[in-house]
Amino acid sequence: MGQASLAAVTWLALAGVGYSAERPAVKFTCATCHRAEAEAQPKTAMGIGMELPPNQTVLRAHPKLTFERNGYTYTIESSGDQSTYTVSDSGGKFSLPIRYAFGVHSQTFVLEYEGRFYESMVSYYASLNGLDVTVGNGKISPHNLVEAMGRLTSDTEITACFGCHSTGAVSDGKLTLASIQPGLTCEHCHAGAKAHLESLAAGKAGPLPKRLGQMNAEQTSRFCGECHRTWDEIVKLRQFGEANVRFQPYRLANSRCFVGDDPRIRCTACHDPHADPVREAAPYDHNCLACHSQNALPVAGQDVPLPKVCPVAQKKCVTCHMPKVKLPGGPSVFDDHQIRIVRSGDPYPN
Amino acid sequence: MPRGVGARLLACLSLVAWTGSAQAQDLESRAAAARDADDIPGALSLYRQAVQEKPGWLEGWWFLGLLAYQSGQFADGRQAFTEFTKLDAKAPAGWVFLGLCEYETGDYSGALDHLERGFASGSRMEPEVEQVARFHRALLLTRAGAFDRARDELKPFVERGIHDPVLIAGIGLNALEMLALPQDVPAGQRDLVEMAGKTACAWIAGDTRQTEAGFRSLLGAYPSAPGVHYLYATYLLVSRPEAMNGELQRELEVNPGNARARAVMALRLRLAGDADDAVLLARKAAEDSPGLGLAQYAYGVVLTETGALSDAIVHLQAAVRIDPDNLGYHTALATAYSEAGRYADTYRERQASIKLARESRGPG
Repeated sequence: MGQASLAAVTWLALAGVGYSAERPAVKFTCATCHRAEAEAQPKTAMGIGMELPPNQTVLRAHPKLTFERNGYTYTIESSGDQSTYTVSDSGGKFSLPIRYAFGVHSQTFVLEYEGRFYESMVSYYASLNGLDVTVGNGKISPHNLVEAMGRLTSDTEITACFGCHSTGAVSDGKLTLASIQPGLTCEHCHAGAKAHLESLAAGKAGPLPKRLGQMNAEQTSRFCGECHRTWDEIVKLRQFGEANVRFQPYRLANSRCFVGDDPRIRCTACHDPHADPVREAAPYDHNCLACHSQNALPVAGQDVPLPKVCPVAQKKCVTCHMPKVKLPGGPSVFDDHQIRIVRSGDPYPN
Repeated sequence: MPRGVGARLLACLSLVAWTGSAQAQDLESRAAAARDADDIPGALSLYRQAVQEKPGWLEGWWFLGLLAYQSGQFADGRQAFTEFTKLDAKAPAGWVFLGLCEYETGDYSGALDHLERGFASGSRMEPEVEQVARFHRALLLTRAGAFDRARDELKPFVERGIHDPVLIAGIGLNALEMLALPQDVPAGQRDLVEMAGKTACAWIAGDTRQTEAGFRSLLGAYPSAPGVHYLYATYLLVSRPEAMNGELQRELEVNPGNARARAVMALRLRLAGDADDAVLLARKAAEDSPGLGLAQYAYGVVLTETGALSDAIVHLQAAVRIDPDNLGYHTALATAYSEAGRYADTYRERQASIKLARESRGPG
């Protein structure tokens, strides 16, 4: 919290604004004190998370999408506020309305059929400006239209999907879709924010939500990993090979330079969680050089070897040390967060 | 054991060449002929005479042990395989049969050690022998309290559709976490063990209807039996986690000494954000059962959460020492090292975890 907003809250509390019976009530929102974050975050990919009718902008911008695979034709048509997902073969066709479009730039659709949820067999990829097979579904050979429509998900899996792409959709481990809000609101990451607002409205300063900025690299990795997958989770699921490149906390934790109690390597050292990630390479140089330069401070952890200074370059470090890796079975490309010296011919590690 | 297995096993061994006297060679021929003619007493007698004359004859000790085992003369088999393993310590089948004979003679500690040694070499065994050995090792692991490892060994038997009463009893003992072998179950507990075994078999086979019916019967018939509520709680972890804590609580009411239930309860409380109570429960579990990996792990994990990293690492290291094949213990230790800034230890433990995960079966 900045000095100005802290002063504002203190003044409001001292003055009794908002809870005095004689004064008009002030409606506290997160933006009252954290304006920049509260205004920026909802526009980010995490803030949007998914699109529900009638706000499915990606589908509305592509009123008709088609794709063919395994003898099935997939068509997504949007008209008015509604989008429809249709799969057809020589024997007939099968259509379902698209209610849940997960993602922002690229989208996968969660379809409801006979009370169960299916992950759509095809997804929209921004890089293709069209449809392709959903990552992970490439090996499925459907036997009928329902199987061709999508992959039946388990309760655990679908709960996790909604839990990370929306707010209010999961309560006590169960889906509560009546209260779904697309994307991650403040409360999603800042547990206790609602109680904090209510207490402010009642004229009290606390309780404060957990100060996420005080978490060390390991704690931050686990926190972000609740959606982006933790190192533990990937190891226990034995998801080795290039398919795990999209699980950044796992990849980062395998880096030689990952030191759990050093804030310079935590997720938020490079990425502002209230903004979309920066796509250019150069802006990250200062993060690398915070350790890998002659003037860098010693690393905080115990028994840590002195970081080496790169003999090749001091600019655009990530272009060499975080290579781009294409996700198997799909068009998506990710920056490998296992920071390392990449040698030609070396296999993909871990 | 099917006929011919012994001879096929023998072919796998690096045997010392027979270079005995003419009399000894005659004994060998007669022993082999008696064995081929299914004259077990005669063959045993001849092999005994032969190894007395030539104590370094590996093949003689092998067949003497094997025939003794097959004819239920386990003490003699044990002696023969002891001599055999002195002559060839690298043959896994020798250790395995020594362990099986020790099992039958009641030397359970020796049996487990020698079965483990037989599997440790990684060499292949005859499938029939390997299955028998794995089954007995699983029973012994349950008796020794290594329930998770034992469960992993027993599961494939159920998945193959085997419905042997001894297997059901073994699964039941494992499910109820009773430190006993099937033959040692008192008459008054046999029904309980059988019901638990059948329920656990249905669970392993993925038969939800039978599993839930089994639990209803088990809980109805034995609401106060130690281990029943804990078993049901572990089942609820996947299907109805919100009901799990109640069953753990009931287990602790009827069986206050169940450190596993206490450790799992501590982990549940940690997930719910109740760190103080989690620490209290986990500490008691760890203090009550210093040899229980799960208790040391739970205490280490909740201590990591509270930032008491030095103590956390001590308990997580203990868990890894107790059960070095448990992936979860290794990953938790790696995390604690990382938070403590122990760079080299973190990197080593993370790599060890990945190696273990690659080499072991299924999510765990």
